[in-house]
Amino acid sequence: MREKKLKNIFVNGAVSAQAIADSIQKHHSKTNIGAHSIFLGQVRADQIGEQQVTGINYTAYEEMALEKMYEIREAIFEKYELTCMHIHHSLGLVAAGEICLFVFTSSGHRKAAMQACDELVERIKAELPIWGKEILTDESHQWKENK
Amino acid sequence: MKVEILLFGRLTELLGQSRLQLEDMADTNSVSKRLLDQYPALQHIRYQIAVNQEIIHGNKPLTDGMTVALMPPFSGG
Repeated sequence: MREKKLKNIFVNGAVSAQAIADSIQKHHSKTNIGAHSIFLGQVRADQIGEQQVTGINYTAYEEMALEKMYEIREAIFEKYELTCMHIHHSLGLVAAGEICLFVFTSSGHRKAAMQACDELVERIKAELPIWGKEILTDESHQWKENK
Repeated sequence: MKVEILLFGRLTELLGQSRLQLEDMADTNSVSKRLLDQYPALQHIRYQIAVNQEIIHGNKPLTDGMTVALMPPFSGG
């Protein structure tokens, strides 16, 4: 049995476009890959009455989230023919318009990468103990709820 | 016998802290009851409980040193 290795998925603040570009670049040497699928979650400036969301401050039960992510990762690798999978989620403040979730799957053929990416996003939102506090224009806040 | 209680999301605001210790808690129902007595506003908040990082359903006995996390609905992504 191989050793259980927890991968950190958390980054402080927004996921930068540069980090995403670098991540794509790193796969150029893996020539068995024929398809990548990428999901980017972006903070939306929702209108709440008179106020607008200016950013989301994320907190997590980090140890549990990484354990849970390990389980999800194993299950997805089991289910789909993937070459690799990368997940990054923000902690701390992410301004509206910035990226807070980056899910990246790769496979020989497109279907596996696309379906795995979709399932990962759903499971991450439903199962990881992460909380978003929406910061409003007047600096008040409300707790985000996933739909 | 002590257990550590971790609070997340809106619960940190309601209780004004993110962790606390409680003594002589036989099970998770006792934890919920003790906190509800102290913070009646808890009755309006939905939360799940994880004991040592495993989500539990129903009541679970506790032993010394266990960690009990009170978690409102997740909203990552």
